[in-house]
Formats: sequence, C-alpha cells, structure tokens
Amino acid sequence: MLERLRRPWSDHRAEQLLGAVACLLAIGIILMIVFIVRGAWPTFSHLGLSWLGSGGNLDNQVGAMVNTSAHPAASAFAFHAWPLIWGTLLTAGFAVLFGLAISLAAAIFIVDFAPPFVQRTMKPVIRLLAAIPGVLYGLIGILVLVPFIDKHILTTAEQNSVINVIQLSGGGLGVTILLVTLMITPILTALITDALESVPRAWREGAIALGLNPLRATIAVSLRAIRPAIVAATALATARALGEAVVVSMVSGGKAFAPNPLDGKIFFLEPVETLASEIVRQADNLSIPVLHSTLYAIAALLLFSSFALSLASYLIRLPMRRYQVSN
Amino acid sequence: MNGRAGAVRNRLAPESPAWQNGPLPIEKLDLEAQLMAIAPEQTNTRPRRARAAVTAVERLRLEDVSVFYGNTPAVKNVSLSIRQGEVLALIGPSGCGKTTLLRTLNRLTELTPNASHSGRVLLDGEDTDDIVDTELRRRVSMVFQQPNPFPMSIFDNVGFALREQSRKRPRRRELEPLVDHALQRAGLHDEVRADLNRSALRLSGGQQQRLCIARAIAQEPEILLMDEPCSALDPRSTAVIEDLILQLREDLAIVVVTHNLQQAHRIADRVAFMYLGDLVEAGETEQVFSDPREEQTREYIAGVFG
Repeated sequence: MLERLRRPWSDHRAEQLLGAVACLLAIGIILMIVFIVRGAWPTFSHLGLSWLGSGGNLDNQVGAMVNTSAHPAASAFAFHAWPLIWGTLLTAGFAVLFGLAISLAAAIFIVDFAPPFVQRTMKPVIRLLAAIPGVLYGLIGILVLVPFIDKHILTTAEQNSVINVIQLSGGGLGVTILLVTLMITPILTALITDALESVPRAWREGAIALGLNPLRATIAVSLRAIRPAIVAATALATARALGEAVVVSMVSGGKAFAPNPLDGKIFFLEPVETLASEIVRQADNLSIPVLHSTLYAIAALLLFSSFALSLASYLIRLPMRRYQVSN
Repeated sequence: MNGRAGAVRNRLAPESPAWQNGPLPIEKLDLEAQLMAIAPEQTNTRPRRARAAVTAVERLRLEDVSVFYGNTPAVKNVSLSIRQGEVLALIGPSGCGKTTLLRTLNRLTELTPNASHSGRVLLDGEDTDDIVDTELRRRVSMVFQQPNPFPMSIFDNVGFALREQSRKRPRRRELEPLVDHALQRAGLHDEVRADLNRSALRLSGGQQQRLCIARAIAQEPEILLMDEPCSALDPRSTAVIEDLILQLREDLAIVVVTHNLQQAHRIADRVAFMYLGDLVEAGETEQVFSDPREEQTREYIAGVFG
C-alpha cells in the first residue's frame, strides 16, 4: 500500500486530483451563495429594495424583532439598512483612501529612496504588521484610543450639544477609520512594494536619463506601469475593510447611527455600525426567525458588494493592460 | 597623419580619396584578419563614414576626471574633448571604466550611492556640476545597452520627455510634429507610422533601440551618449543603427561605448582606448587602429587581451 503511494503520480491522476479540489472550492462558494440567498429571501420578499433605504431608528427596529414570534407577520420585518450601508461606506472609503495614500508613499520610499539597510528592515517589519491579528488592533483601540478621545478630545460641550440625539463616548467613526486604516495599510504597502520592485530598473533609470527627477521618474514610469497591481491591491484592501467586523464592533460606539458629515468635528466622534459589525453584534439572536433572515440579508449584501468589487477591479484593469508585454 | 595610416585607410575603404601613397607595411596587412578573428560573425570592417565630419566644434571637455566607487577608482585622470559632428568611440576590455566614464558625463553615476568624482566636465565651457542635473540630462541624453522603452505607446515614449518638460501638459496635436520628426531622424518613422498607438514593447529589439534613440533626441540634446547600443541586437539592426549614428553626428556630439572593435572602426571619427580606468590613448580612428602610440593599445587591437 505504502509502496503504491510512493510511486510517482501520473500527470493524469494529478490532474484529476487538482481538478477535484478546484471543483470542491467552486461547489463550496455556490453552496454559500445558495444558503445566504435562501436565508435572506423572507426579508427581501417582504421589503424589496426599500430594505436598503433609510427610515426610523435601526437599533429600535432590531429591538422590535427580538420580540417577534416564530411565525412573524410581514410588518415584523421592518428594517432599513441605510445606516449600516452608510457606516460601511464611510469606514471602508476613508480607510482605503488614507491607507492607499500612506502605502503608496511608503512603498515609493522603500523601493526607490530608502538606503539599503532601511529597505532591509522595513520590508520584513511591514510583513509582520500585515500578519498581526485584527483583534489586537481592536484591543488597543478599546483600551487606549477610546478612553484617550473621551478624555482629551471630546469636550463636555460637544457631548451636550447632541445629548438629545446620541450619546458620545469616544468610540465612533474616527477611531474605527483609524484602526481599519492601520489594519489594511501593511498589506497594501507590501503588495505595492512587491509590484514596484518588479518594475525593471532600466525604465526608471531611462526616465532619469531623460531629465526627470527621481521622484517624478518613479511616478511617471514605475507607478504608471504598476497601475493594475495598485487597483488589485486596493480591491483586496477594500474587501478586507468591508468585511472587518470584530475591530469595528469593539470601537465603533455600539449604535447603528448614520454619522452626518455636516456635524463637523463631531462627525468623527459619532457612533457608527457597519454591515459586518452588525452581524457580529446580533449573532446571539439568531434563533429569532426575523432577525435570522435580516442578518442573512446583510450577509447577502456584503457578498454582493465583494463580487461587485472584484468585477470593478477587473474592468478597471482591462484598459491598463493594453501596453504590457503579455496579452 | 602618417603614410601608413593612409595606406590602410585606402585598403579598408576603397571609395575614400587616395590622399596618401606609400608602401604598405607588412605587419599592417594582418589588421583586417585580426579584426575578423575577434568577431568572426561580422566580416564587414569597412568604415561606414564616407567622409570625415566637417564641423567639429568642441562641446564637452573632460579635465582630469576621476571617478571612484567608495575608495576604488574606476576612472583615473581622464582628459578628453568631445566635439559636435564627430563620433567618439570609447573602447577597452570589460570593466575598464568605459561605461562609468560615459555615465559621468550626464551625472548618472550619482544614482550609485557610493560614487564620487573629481576633476571637471565642461559642457560648452560650463562645469556640469553647476548645471541642475535634470537640465544637464536634457542636454546630454543617453541610450542604454538594453533597449528600455517604457510600457506605453510608441507615441507616448517619444513624447515622454517633451511632455514631462512642459509646465502645461501639451496636447497630442502639438506634440505630433515633434514626435514625427524624432522618429524620422531615428529612421523608425516608416516602420511605425501606421499605428503610433501600438505598445512600444511589441516592437522588435532593433526597433526598440531606435525608439530609444528617437526618445533621446526628441528633446534636441547637444550630446548623445550611447552605451553599447548594439550589443543586444542582431547584425542587420546593428547596421541600421550604425548608419543612424553617422547621420545624427551632423547635429550632435556622439559618444559610443563599444566592445566591438569593428564597430568602433566603422563608425567612429575618433577612438579613445581605456584600460583599467586609465585613458591609454585617444586619437583619430585610423591612427589608433593602424598606428597606435601605446603598446597596450596595439595589443588590445591585436586581440592579445580583453
């Protein structure tokens, strides 16, 4: 028996095995989609697309669901997910924007400007940062950042000014964005650094020899050449920011409130909840059919947005590949 | 110029005027055979330059230039003058400092962290260290050993430097005549004009190198530095580029680094032989090849070392 296993595999058998693994993966994804859509169906069939809209207090809506029976009436499904969608867009959007700016600058510095020993230290350090479990960031957020903001940044006057609408406690949009940015920046930096390093040195040198200064040469030739990689890395980081649940639920303030940009500084102190963090927050109540379906609907929306993200990244990259060697 | 050099010139280039007569010395008869033995795949040793350049104006002068990597000298006390209307070939064995010297001329050595230099390089009498580096590199352009077109269209490659130089991004219509002109001068226009939006990376190696030349001359530099521009190319592309160099020398001073002696003989008006960082000998091509003053030059040309 062992003797048989040890013999080299024929290409044919290896092909079959690898094919089987790939098929299993595809089946898994399809099953997941089927389950989520089936679970979300009651919600969407009762509310349609108004589910995505705004209206009422989301926390109260969830609270009402907890008390519904096993055979709920259609009115029990009342839920308007807009605060969650808005919260997700805000956190993911700001985090990716900041993260991209920081990691582009960092990658350019590491690859084209840093002295060799800095280069040698920075690269493993960034990979290490990328490997830190997210919950550690959440812990630092809840133990250090939230109390700090509560004590030093948030004033009593600011708290009082919105006391009738919302309770401010330090946790909120600002900390959430900061931590999600911290979480996605290392992996973005690592990916962009790798891409920049793969650019032939001769291109940048050629640009410098044409009279460009080094930074301009990096931007005009190297960055331009790796645009597809930047888009792909951004899509990956966005997916991670969209799906980040634990950290957000730890520091976001615990209220499904839609922060209003017109509030100025308070905007960043207002509590927020994202699609993913709402699922974590309500995970205890899954036995209630209405809430069960609502959470599945949230999951379906997340799944759909990650597909849309992949598709968008692919479509954006298509025209950029026109001048590359392959294709 | 002595009689022997003239005789060799006669023999190698029958179409050149018989401006010198004299007996052909026996030891010189072997020159052509020796040259062939060095690079047997290229049997054409006849100079392509039909006539010597007419207007030789000094553009670049090196005064006692030394270049160091750390404490190691790569180029030692080189003094040389480079003239418009002439092709200067830097020859010498690998690692003798040819490329380093070339890269000193547009201060590209500054990209190497531990490189330093002493002495002066004067561009039209102005010390290049006093010229802003980006400005200097526009006036002293460079073509590399490996063709390095950018991953963009042919048009964008040639217009690259022009676009980067202008404060306001010029419209394509404004750039078109300049790009066309550069492509024509580089002898590439007829081959690519059908579609200037094609990716430059899909051109052949020889076309890519001519594209790099077009890109380098699009901003009308005064000097063109070429670092073994044909070493990655086949003989046919090499011939095209050699012809091109001879046309370009009318408006530009050209410095070509080459390890191909036949090529130096075919295209250069003057030759500088370097060995271990020293400039051993510099002079008229015919004189250096037929009657070198230094023993090292004689041995190198005869294929003894390198």
